[in-house]
Amino acid sequence: MAKLPTPQELVASRPAFPDEAWLDTKPKFAPGSFCYPAKKETMEIMHMPNPHDWDPAADDWNLPDNWEQILCDAFAERLEKHRSLKLFMDICVRCGACADKCHFFLGTNDPKNMPVLRAELLRSLYRRDHTMLGKILGKKVGARGWDKEVVKELFYYAYQCTECRRCSLFCPYGIDTAEITAIVRELLHEVGLGTHWIMDPVKNCSFTGNHLGIKPHSFVEIVEMLADDCETVTGIRPKTPFNEKGHEILFLTPSGDVFADPGIYTFMGYLLLFHELDLDYTLSTYASEGGNFGSFTTFNMAKKLNAKMYHEAERLGVKWILGGECGHMWRVINQYMDTYNGPSPACMEVPKSPITGTVFENAASTKMVHITEFTADLIRHNKLKLDPSRNDHIITTFHDSCNPARAMGLLEEPRYILKHVCNNFVEMPENTIREQTFCCGAGSGLNTEEIMELRMRSGMPRGNALRYVQQKYGVNHMACVCAIDRATLPPLADYWAPGVTVSGVHELVANALVMKGEAKRTMDLRQEDLPNVEADDAAEQGE
Amino acid sequence: METKKIFEKHKSDILSEWTEAVFSTYPFQTTGFLRTKHDPFTNPVAAMTREAAGILYDALSGDDTDVQTVKQAIERFVKLRAVQEFTPSQGLGVFFLMKPLLRKHILPEMAKGAGDVPACYLELESRVDSLTLLAFDIYTKARETLADIRIKEIRNQYAQLKRWAQQLNESSPLN
Repeated sequence: MAKLPTPQELVASRPAFPDEAWLDTKPKFAPGSFCYPAKKETMEIMHMPNPHDWDPAADDWNLPDNWEQILCDAFAERLEKHRSLKLFMDICVRCGACADKCHFFLGTNDPKNMPVLRAELLRSLYRRDHTMLGKILGKKVGARGWDKEVVKELFYYAYQCTECRRCSLFCPYGIDTAEITAIVRELLHEVGLGTHWIMDPVKNCSFTGNHLGIKPHSFVEIVEMLADDCETVTGIRPKTPFNEKGHEILFLTPSGDVFADPGIYTFMGYLLLFHELDLDYTLSTYASEGGNFGSFTTFNMAKKLNAKMYHEAERLGVKWILGGECGHMWRVINQYMDTYNGPSPACMEVPKSPITGTVFENAASTKMVHITEFTADLIRHNKLKLDPSRNDHIITTFHDSCNPARAMGLLEEPRYILKHVCNNFVEMPENTIREQTFCCGAGSGLNTEEIMELRMRSGMPRGNALRYVQQKYGVNHMACVCAIDRATLPPLADYWAPGVTVSGVHELVANALVMKGEAKRTMDLRQEDLPNVEADDAAEQGE
Repeated sequence: METKKIFEKHKSDILSEWTEAVFSTYPFQTTGFLRTKHDPFTNPVAAMTREAAGILYDALSGDDTDVQTVKQAIERFVKLRAVQEFTPSQGLGVFFLMKPLLRKHILPEMAKGAGDVPACYLELESRVDSLTLLAFDIYTKARETLADIRIKEIRNQYAQLKRWAQQLNESSPLN
């Protein structure tokens, strides 16, 4: 007669000492742990190499016949092209400083999610073909050859890295694990392996300019709908200039702020702020996307999608570009844009705020200014009339989005703004903010719903810190400067710290902004009643 | 010996053995890290486990057994187990790992003088079952939340698009 297993046998089934080495333990492709594959048609229409149908949960991924040759050649080519990659492959001493810094490792406790070991998956392949010792001694020095299981393993772990670069901060050699992940993803795309959530926006961006593939006329209509909403709240309908030539500034922001809740309120914030300043600017339906999902596939794709920024600036003849609250958009701009598509068009000048006269020397090369730099400068020069008491029902904290924080050092400006538009601001614990900020857990194209479970564990360190300030200081709001954050942090908060709402910084700015000729505010941009407005005043307003 | 004193005497042993048993449900290469780092923000899994261990033990000993307080205290830990790569039995079964520890440390002392397993000990084991049932509620709710937020996220992504499409539909001359 069969015996039922004991609770101990059910729960603690792992042997005290593992039977196989870590490198030989292969991941299981359980639903909820991998992203859906890109469609063959999408890969074809984007001229990606070796498009084919495949299923991550299947045994056979239908790789092309000469897949090994393709991968070996592609890897060799990347090593030749990127000196940094070769350096990163050679230089790591496996000190382990990065090991416990990754939010994926902290959430999953999977050893291969230690950045050092995730990189080792590629480094072991590098050793066999590109180092003398590896060629001679093979496995003894940690070298291994390609096989189909290795390809699967690379896919599994390259999409369990959000390229947030927290680990790089702690690396004594400055190894940028995000670039290693980026290269692994590039290699995988060479054999036709991409994910739907990334490739679909890439395709849409290529054909219509934005991630959802919204055509220009619809895009304009949606923005106008948001302008109507602004009027409902403030009594003022902000202008929505589109594709107009001869303005000083082109404003670019991720399209998520136009389509997705709660990003739209941040977008309404921009519209109201620009209207109040009477800013000489235009929006564009061609460059209707600040985000760049190409940067999650290949460097060439990132370059292609990025090109429209300067193209449009040149076509419209603007002097400089103002950029909205976005994460990886700013990493691409700050670290790659000059190399990809620079120098900027001749019509462009070093950005100078038309309101305060401040010259943004930091943007002398790219000619692009981050909106929080712009607004912080306005507040510093006392150019905005603000009533922070309108946000008194909010106790906010600030989530440093990985890319603005670590890839461009944008740490003070959003805080400076928040402290002027909110009376209650609380920081999360210091080892979870600023340069050491924990990722939302779903950056770099991982913010898709099929891996929600994975996102809840990778975002757990952030959720945990948020929960702490919620319980200790009554924090009920988290501001951030990234469109992906605005999409991914609400579910994370719903799971780990229910009751905390998420918004962009400029939503709070517009809520506090006292505009010329505005109606008395009785509700915020979400059209929720402001609790601090006195009942009598509200009644008067209604009459 | 009085029950309370027995519990106090074995607290540190049982807590460390139980957290150790929970850490052992994670891969071998990771348990060392879980065991040695104590910052609640940079080693959250260990912090959550240790927090749950303390509360669990106090609840078992009869102190602080208000259901809401206990639920709140183990919530974070159960939510964590609910999204990690465990089967539901592995996720929640860790509570039952307390039983062999109680049998090892507490039972012999409680049974001193009495020949059989004393009733007070059986009650104690039943409390483990109750706590596991409370955790089961939290676990199920966490999984439901997970499903809800997936749906909510899909809706939010296209919220404005849907609103725009509805407006178009309303203003259509065909209506």
